[in-house]
Amino acid sequence: MKKINWKKEARLLPGYLIMFIWVLFTAVMLFWILGASLSTSREIFSGNIFKFETGFHWENYATAWNVQNVSVFFANSLLYSVISCVGVLAIAAPAAYVLSRWQFTGGKTLRIGLVIAMSVPVIMVIMPIYSLSVQWGIKGRVLLVILYIMLRVPYTTIYLLDFFSTLSRTYEEAAYLDGCSGPNTFLRIMLPLVQPAIITVTIFNFMSVWNEFFMALIFTSSESMAPVGVGLLNIINSMKYTGNYGGMFAAVIIVFLPTFLLYIFMSEKIIAGVTGGGVKG
Amino acid sequence: MRKNKAMIFWFCLPALLSLVIMFVYPVTRTVIMSFFQVESVTATTADWSFYGLGNYTKIFGSASFMTSMRNMLLIWIVGGVITLALAMLMAVVVTSGIRGKKFFRAAIYMPNIISAVALATMWIQYIFNYDYGLLNEIVQLFGGDKVKWLGTDLKFWAMTGSFIFGSVGYYMLIYISGIEGIPQDLYEAATIDGAGKGRQFFDITLPLLKGVIKTSITFWSINTTTFFLWTKMFSPIDTESSTIVPVIYLYDMVFGGKGITTRDAGAGAAVGVVLTLIIIAVYLVTEQLFKGSDLEY
Repeated sequence: MKKINWKKEARLLPGYLIMFIWVLFTAVMLFWILGASLSTSREIFSGNIFKFETGFHWENYATAWNVQNVSVFFANSLLYSVISCVGVLAIAAPAAYVLSRWQFTGGKTLRIGLVIAMSVPVIMVIMPIYSLSVQWGIKGRVLLVILYIMLRVPYTTIYLLDFFSTLSRTYEEAAYLDGCSGPNTFLRIMLPLVQPAIITVTIFNFMSVWNEFFMALIFTSSESMAPVGVGLLNIINSMKYTGNYGGMFAAVIIVFLPTFLLYIFMSEKIIAGVTGGGVKG
Repeated sequence: MRKNKAMIFWFCLPALLSLVIMFVYPVTRTVIMSFFQVESVTATTADWSFYGLGNYTKIFGSASFMTSMRNMLLIWIVGGVITLALAMLMAVVVTSGIRGKKFFRAAIYMPNIISAVALATMWIQYIFNYDYGLLNEIVQLFGGDKVKWLGTDLKFWAMTGSFIFGSVGYYMLIYISGIEGIPQDLYEAATIDGAGKGRQFFDITLPLLKGVIKTSITFWSINTTTFFLWTKMFSPIDTESSTIVPVIYLYDMVFGGKGITTRDAGAGAAVGVVLTLIIIAVYLVTEQLFKGSDLEY
C-alpha cells in the first residue's frame, strides 16, 4: 500500500469535499428511492421509510410488475434494444469495413453524410417518417425497431470505421492468398478482430434504445407496446387515481436497474467509449 | 488488395438506404414542408398549398412559441454556464490526483446512463416533493418554511436544476479527456516558475482546452434546442407556459395536445427548421470565436 502523503491530501481537501457532497447527494437520492419502493404510501408521507416498521413491502414490486404492467414495458424495451443492437450491427459493420478499406465512388460522400446525420436533431426527421410509415402501412413494434436501427446506423458505422482503419492489411492479403473470398474474410477474420469495439458500441446502442423516449412516445399507439420510459410516464400520470406511491417507486427502480447494473460492471469501458469515438477536441 | 466492386456495393447499400430513408429524405421534406400550409402530418403533397414564409410569421407571432423560445434561451445560457462550469470544476478536481478518482468519475457520470424518465421521476417525486422531499427536509432543518418547488414560480428552475444535475457528468468526461491530453511537464515547469494552482488553471489548462470547450458548447446547444423529455416529465399532461420549450410546442402542434384543436404540421416543420438553424449558427459562431484553437504542444 502506498504511503499516504498527508500534506498532499490536505491540499486536496476542498476537492474531496466537492466530490463527497455531490456523490453523497446522489447516494441519498438512490437509497431513499430504494427505501420508498419497499414502504407503504403512508410510511412515505410520514417520513418513516427507513424504519421498516411494517416490514419490507416486496408486494410493491409485484404490483408494479403485474398490475401496473411494468413486465410488459420491460419486455418491450428488452425486445426493442436487443433486436435493434443486432440489426444495426448487421447494417453498420459491413459498411464500416468497406469504407475503411477501399476508395470508391460515393464512398467519401457516404462517410460525410453519416457524420452529418449524427448531429441531425430528431425533430427534423420525425414528421416525414410519420407520414411515410402511415403510407407504407408499417406500425407498432416493427416500425419502432426499424426506426431505432436506422437511427443508430450513422453513429455505429463511424465508430466501427475508426477501428477497422487501425487493422493491418496483411490479414486480408494472407486470407486472399489462401483463397478466402472477400465476404468470408470480413466475417471470419476482420469482424472478430474488432470485437472490443463491437462490444462498446453495442453497449451504447443498448442504453440509447433502452432510454429512448421521444420516438417511443410518438409511435406507440397503445400501452401494450410502450417501452419502459413511456410506460413509467403512464404510471406516474395514473398515480393521481391509484395513489400507490410504493408501487411507483418500485417501478422506478425496475426501470433504472438494467442500465445501472450494466454500468456497475462496465463503467471503465463505457467511460472510455464516451470520449473515445467522435469526440475530438 | 483486390477491389471487389460487388462486395463494396452490397456492403454499403443497407447503410446508404438507412441514411436516405431516415435522414436525407425526411430532412429535405421537413424543410420543404415548412414553406407550405399543411394541416395534418400525414397529408399527401397534393394537399399542400404554398405558403411562403407564412409558417414562420405564424410561429414568431405566436405567444406560446415566443415563451418557449425564451425558456429555451434561459436553459441554454443559465443552464449552460452552470453546467459547463460545474463540469470543468469536477474535471479539474478528478484529475488533481485525488484518491478514488475512478469511483468519483463513474459516480458523477452515472445519471447519464440511467433512464432520464426514471431520473426525472426521482427528482420530481422525491427531491422536490412538498410533503417528504429532501429539499424541504433541509429547509426545515434550518428552521425555514416548506417551499413549493413545483409551484408555478419555481417549476422552471426546478426543472433546469435537475436537468443540470443529469448533464454535468457527460461534459466532465469531455473535459477530463482534454485535461489528460495536456503534457504534465507544462505544469511542472509552471510550478518551478512559481505559478499557483489558480494561475496554472487560467494560463495553461483553459487556453489548451479551447477546442474541447468548443465541442462542449456545440453539444450543449444541440441538447438544449432538442430539450423535450424534462418538460414532458415536469408538465406531463397540460403544457404550461412555465416549462414549455420549442419541441413541446412542435409536438402539440403536430401530434396534438390538450387545448389545441387544430393541427398544423407546416408550422411544426418551421419550428424544426428554426431550431436547426440555431444549432448551425451557434456552431459557426463558436468556430469563429475559438479560431486557431488547434494549439500544438
